[in-house]
Amino acid sequence: MAVDLGQMAELLIAGKVDDVEKMTEQAIDDGMDPSDILQKGLIAGMDVVGQRFKACDMFIPEVLRSAKAMGAGMKQLRPKLVASGAKMAGTMVIGTVKGDLHDIGKNLVGMMFEGAGFQVVNLGIDLDTQVFVDAVKEHKPELLGMSALLTTTMPKMGEVINALKEAGVRDQVKVMVGGAPVTEEFAKEIGADIYGANAASSVDKAKEVLEA
Amino acid sequence: MTFRTNYTVNKTTRFRLLSEDQKARIYRGVIKTLNDTGANVFHDEVREILGKNGCKVDGKRVRIPPEVVRDALASLPPTTTLYSWDGNEEMCYVEPGRSYFGPGPTPPNFNDPDTLERRPYIRKDATTVARVCDALPNIGYVQSLGSISDVTNGLADVYEFADMIQNTRKIIMNWAFSEENVADEHRIGIVMAGGEEAFKQRPNFIHYSEPISPLTSDVDAIGKCLYCAKHRIPQVYTPCCIGGATVPATHAGQIIVAMSESMVGVVLSQIVNPGTCIIIGGVQSILDMRRTIYSYGAPELGIMSAAFTEMLNYVGLPMYSTSGCTDTKKMELQSGIEAAFSIHMAMLSGANFVHDNGYTESGITGDIFQTVMDDEIIGMSRLIAGGVEVNEETLAVEEICNIGPGGHYLYEDHTMKWFRHHWQPTLMDRNSYEDWDAQGRLTMKDRIVKKTRDIIENYEGPASRVPEDAKKDIQKILDKAEERVRSQS
Ligand code: B12
Repeated sequence: MAVDLGQMAELLIAGKVDDVEKMTEQAIDDGMDPSDILQKGLIAGMDVVGQRFKACDMFIPEVLRSAKAMGAGMKQLRPKLVASGAKMAGTMVIGTVKGDLHDIGKNLVGMMFEGAGFQVVNLGIDLDTQVFVDAVKEHKPELLGMSALLTTTMPKMGEVINALKEAGVRDQVKVMVGGAPVTEEFAKEIGADIYGANAASSVDKAKEVLEA
Repeated sequence: MTFRTNYTVNKTTRFRLLSEDQKARIYRGVIKTLNDTGANVFHDEVREILGKNGCKVDGKRVRIPPEVVRDALASLPPTTTLYSWDGNEEMCYVEPGRSYFGPGPTPPNFNDPDTLERRPYIRKDATTVARVCDALPNIGYVQSLGSISDVTNGLADVYEFADMIQNTRKIIMNWAFSEENVADEHRIGIVMAGGEEAFKQRPNFIHYSEPISPLTSDVDAIGKCLYCAKHRIPQVYTPCCIGGATVPATHAGQIIVAMSESMVGVVLSQIVNPGTCIIIGGVQSILDMRRTIYSYGAPELGIMSAAFTEMLNYVGLPMYSTSGCTDTKKMELQSGIEAAFSIHMAMLSGANFVHDNGYTESGITGDIFQTVMDDEIIGMSRLIAGGVEVNEETLAVEEICNIGPGGHYLYEDHTMKWFRHHWQPTLMDRNSYEDWDAQGRLTMKDRIVKKTRDIIENYEGPASRVPEDAKKDIQKILDKAEERVRSQS
């Protein structure tokens, strides 16, 4: 019996992480088209999640559970998509800058991007500038996210951007910054590409910039 | 004189959330968490101290057995007195049944007193906040409502304290980036007290630092806690727990995590220096699961803070609570509603130090106008908390019978004496329509702005009484700190 992608979307909406992962595996084994699995299963589900979130029918923890299910499915699917040359969301590296221990906002952003189909590498908190540069070199992400919750650590984000330039990798990656005291103007000032005021809106913004 | 036998009196409004059984269950949750899971402590010396004193250390993890918690609680001081920097007045008693309300620390922005627009917090704002708080009768201790953006990066904390302590005699609750900076602030406290011995006898500040939820003490936070314990500086060691995100979404679960992670500081302080003053509590609120905002106006903040206060009362610890704050960006109806709720909850619960009176925009913008409004609300709340006094004199049966039916009480000695106990508004409008109209139809916001600016312009704080030598010594401390920062970078 062929895997029912509609049911897969439903399970994703319900946040059934293991079920979605198993179903994705099954669908792949059944020889279904990876693009179909992605579009009609996972993304179809996440689209509904996004709409329900905007309509206040779903809340952050539910959205994050669905995002986690999306991530679990993508883990299975990504190699197949790569092999078939299909279009998909890329990789995002995210972390909190040096001297800053604020963790949860950055994690939320990472989880949301996982829900948008990105492969998310969460580097952690209190990170040296070099760690960001090395991660960009290693993972070759489409997106680098930096979080700072303190006015004193915000300048570190600018330092990372400069270090990326020095390392000759600034043009390979879109840089996105956020955190409660960070503003649009500040993001511009330090030469970031995207400012994200919160997790949900930054996914939309990033997609726009990456698709442009 | 009439005597009463076995007579129960309620001196204040009684307010209880938790039953004895509920408190015991929450406390057992704390004990089990500390014993079975413990907390990560990123400080070698602290782990060593804890390990030598009955805790189980395994890598970064420190597990605290029940008997160690019990001993720490038993060694807490029943009371600690804090003094004005001139040493002349007892300003705060850290003890049950005493509530002091104050602003909060470190938001990045400040609501500009002239333009009423938010902008980065700058050095002169610290002085403004200290002076205004000094003038407000219901503000019992002082925090800065911002972190200074226009001084050397890494020294905002030291400048803030140096300026504030010269502009208020009330107790300041300061904060610091690092152990080194607490040491600078300690030096400033000593200068203001008139020497090391004088400071020991009459401490003039409380230090504030924060463990990280869940169950983590980072090197700076616990390092500062250790410094304060060693030097017997009264301190607050409290997290900002985000319900549903960094702690469970249930209130009881949140209190267990908050209390457990703070207990690391309590245990450490009592091992290092038995009887030194430590206060726990913190911001207890929820993540708004729609907007991902840590809410400072949520009703959950009020109920959790009150429940936490009862828990700390239960184990004999003082409570650092939260009130008078709002999620709004501008002074408006919402800021008043949220502030009134949280202030009244904190008051009725009997929390000891209640901070964030003056936080707007969920802690992103400090607003001295909000503090001025809160001062009025605290006054109203305090009156209600005072309860109804019932004795021969207040029953006034004699006067009632004397006046009889008809007549009035306006000439009576009894009235002369007692009407003064009525609360007098300084901001609330009780004018007639005609007077209100004639006086320019001022709204609450207009009156708050007027009162605040009036204090800023005319209030004479204690600054002129700071000895010249002390000023010079403080400048030297600042210069040395500058030097240190320069040499480190
Ligand atoms: C919780 C908290 C803490 C906790 C963090 C625990 C944890 N596990 O993360 C602890 C206790 C550790 C902490 C410590 C400190 N904190 Co703190 N903290 C907060 C608080 C109350 C909430 C932050 C939060 O988690 N919000 C909820 C999350 C979901 O929101 P968020 O982080 O803003 O993230 C969202 C957006 O900003 C955005 N976003 C975030 N990152 C990114 C990244 C990208 C790429 C994008 C696109 C978007 C994005 O999307 C997120 C989701 O929607 C804020 C106040 C506030 N309202 O922000 C203060 C605050 C940030 N802290 C502050 C301060 C001062 C400190 C301390 C210095 C306090 C002290 N005296 O020790 C220490 C510093 C420690 C250090 N070296 O980092 C100040 C900062 C002031 C300033 N001038 O910068 C604030 C504003 C509080 C205040 N009013 O004083 N803090």
